[in-house]
Amino acid sequence: MPRLPLWKYAVLLWMTVVLVAAFLIRVPDIPILHETSRNLFFHVPMWFTMTVVFGAGLVYSIRYLATGNSTMDRRAEAVTYVGILFGICGLLTGALWARFTWGTWWTFAEPKMNLSAMAMMIYVAYFILRSAFDDPHKRAKLAAVYNVFAATTVPFLLYVIPRQLPSLHPGADGNPAFSDLTAPELRLVFYPAVIGFIALAFWLADLKYRMQTLQDRVDDDSVGA
Amino acid sequence: MLNFVTTVGVILQHIAVNLALQYDDLWQGSGAADESNVLMQVMAGSNLIFVVLAVSLVIWFVFIFYLIRVERKLAQLEKKHSE
Repeated sequence: MPRLPLWKYAVLLWMTVVLVAAFLIRVPDIPILHETSRNLFFHVPMWFTMTVVFGAGLVYSIRYLATGNSTMDRRAEAVTYVGILFGICGLLTGALWARFTWGTWWTFAEPKMNLSAMAMMIYVAYFILRSAFDDPHKRAKLAAVYNVFAATTVPFLLYVIPRQLPSLHPGADGNPAFSDLTAPELRLVFYPAVIGFIALAFWLADLKYRMQTLQDRVDDDSVGA
Repeated sequence: MLNFVTTVGVILQHIAVNLALQYDDLWQGSGAADESNVLMQVMAGSNLIFVVLAVSLVIWFVFIFYLIRVERKLAQLEKKHSE
């Protein structure tokens, strides 16, 4: 076993407990939903986590623009990468859940689905933009500026606009998501799950960051030689 | 030597017969769980939710295993490149 920082062991233990609790907690038998109420512990934290790590990406990008420190650019790239992974998980789990509760994998009548897919595409463009530059300084600067724009769209696409439109998705039409959930005890697992997944995301971003740092060092060496 | 081989053969035969017997029970369909141990009875109850939990935990533990492996490899590379 490598020596890991304590918080990483805490994440492993925490998530294991959350996983067990998510399956064993008694959920109310709501028509249509049935046992899929448990998806609340998995699907929704994907989006919470994505939003938080994209928010972290915004902070790193601004710090890059303020300092020109390439560490901040790498950190921004790492968290954004992980954010996209979680967003993809959110889209896939959402489509699967929709298939068995709404009866369709995807519908263009559903604002939350389409707008979240749009947010993902905006973030995929971040990596396409990065790949367009060979000069690391230019790449870092433009990526940071773009990331400020991308992060600004997230609250509107995922939270503001969907709440104004009619939708089957909880959290639409002016309703906060929890109001139509009849069982408040679901929160006992939901919030710990959110915390656990966010911590896990920062762990993955840490790995990505360290890998990128090494990669850059190797590239620098080969250029210098 | 022959004695050893015979012993191993007897043990293997024992295991094979035991395995076959267990499947024999399962092939008879429901009711098999009643004769198994307590753990299997629990697993077979509650609408099989424990089976889903077990599957998820297997995936999660494999994920942890991989995560820790990557951590170790990264730590080695970082050590090598800081020299």
